[in-house]
Amino acid sequence: MRQANVASDDDASAEERSPTFAPLGGRFISRGRLVLRSAYWLASLLAPQSPERPTPVTASVTRELDVLGFGAIRLVAVSALLVGLITIFQAAYQLAPYGAEVVSARALAWFVAREIGPIVVAILVVARSAAAIAGEFASMAANGEIDALRVMGLDPVKYLVVPKLAALLIALPTLTAIAIMLAVIGGWLGMSVVLGYNTALFFEYLHESLAARDVGVGLAKSVLFASIIGIVAADEGLRVERRVSAIGAAATRSVVYCLLGVLGADTAVNAFVYFIPGLT
Amino acid sequence: MTGDATAPMPNASAATALGVDDVTGPRAAPVLRHVSLSVPRGGSHVVLGPMHSGKSTLLRLILGLDRAVSGRVTIDGSTFDAARATEDQLRHMRRRVGVVFDSSALVSRLTLLENVMLPLAEHMTVGADQARETAAGLLHDVGVAGDLERTPDRLTRLDRRRAALARALVLEPAVLIVDEPGNGLDPHAAAELDETMQALHERYRCGILICTQEVRYAFHWPSVVSVLANGRIVEQGSLDELLNSRHEAVRRFVDRRGAA
Repeated sequence: MRQANVASDDDASAEERSPTFAPLGGRFISRGRLVLRSAYWLASLLAPQSPERPTPVTASVTRELDVLGFGAIRLVAVSALLVGLITIFQAAYQLAPYGAEVVSARALAWFVAREIGPIVVAILVVARSAAAIAGEFASMAANGEIDALRVMGLDPVKYLVVPKLAALLIALPTLTAIAIMLAVIGGWLGMSVVLGYNTALFFEYLHESLAARDVGVGLAKSVLFASIIGIVAADEGLRVERRVSAIGAAATRSVVYCLLGVLGADTAVNAFVYFIPGLT
Repeated sequence: MTGDATAPMPNASAATALGVDDVTGPRAAPVLRHVSLSVPRGGSHVVLGPMHSGKSTLLRLILGLDRAVSGRVTIDGSTFDAARATEDQLRHMRRRVGVVFDSSALVSRLTLLENVMLPLAEHMTVGADQARETAAGLLHDVGVAGDLERTPDRLTRLDRRRAALARALVLEPAVLIVDEPGNGLDPHAAAELDETMQALHERYRCGILICTQEVRYAFHWPSVVSVLANGRIVEQGSLDELLNSRHEAVRRFVDRRGAA
């Protein structure tokens, strides 16, 4: 038996050490690692699997798709319809002095498939899901669930990040396709019902201006945005310390970084497409 | 037997399920100093300590979730340096350990059955049906009844603890570590869980390390008891030694046993 002679340093103090805002370089490294590990587990998920082996990851993807994808359809549908109307009204307003309001259908075709569809969907998904993903992971970290997975020799990326990422990779292009269609319908409603133009003329202009390539670029962008949202939100949630107070901060940061990431990537893609002959 | 810094290393022989040898840590801000203890195969060891005495930190250092400054950990005959263990070493070691965290820490996005099946799915080459059957059997053994496709948030706290116990035992570990088994449970539920733990300990014959602030576990588990205070083990020995100890921190626990 002997006396204790060391000043107490309680368990909680260890959790106060890491700064809330890690250096930016640390974030890039952490996200780079997360991208590589997620890519590895996504590839293994796509590889043929034995029907005999249990695959909780596959079941999780279905659940996440329901939450992140189907759950966002109404919001995306209503927003896309309104965005179609707004685009038509704004284009008509700008073109009216030249007597070219009818050309608004072309403006809709130019912008919706390549730009407005994917970016609006990405922003809506960030607003709706990025904070939820980061908050959920941060809450799991505070509750010890992430540690429990690590202790069982299970990679949290495989069981937590990959299902959400896979669901986003399926959901965003699908939502973008839906958004493009509904924005066109919104534009048509604006042109024909409100501005009184002929429906056939609207679709003729639309058909002339909307190329399959534009839709392809829009859908490709949505895949990129899905990856950014999934990786950034997951990383912000997983990197927090085991403190309940860190959950809100992680959720806020994930929205900020996801928005910046989506807008930055969009800028880069637009610049790339503009300067590469054949893609414009 | 005492847990002094200069005490001999615990026996890391094949008879030891878990050995902690002179561990100081975590590296970022050491909370524990020169902690040594051992859990024999099929035996038990209760670590008693008040809140913030370092029990959870000890658990994290044993599991390699935090890096130690120094010390070694032996699990099921394999020893690793707690300050420099590689991921491979930790992965290998963790397969031989079952852990019940104080918060249960069931994965909230997965169903009850999936939570228990997870380690089987990852580490064993068993079919889906067999894994499901094993997991359901274990959940039944620990006393979880009803729909096994529920998510953990729909369970009572006692059932969450039971399910966490089932998950910890599914790979038949060499050592089971239980952090605050009675945390958040009323006395009746805590006693029920304790009975379940004792029955499963009898069946699986694994070593068990219980970290708790409740002195009754020292009486319920015929074992070695360590008392942790201010980051050091201030008393280590049998229950009799504990009862006869004059150390102030130990007396605070022992004198409370009537209430417990």
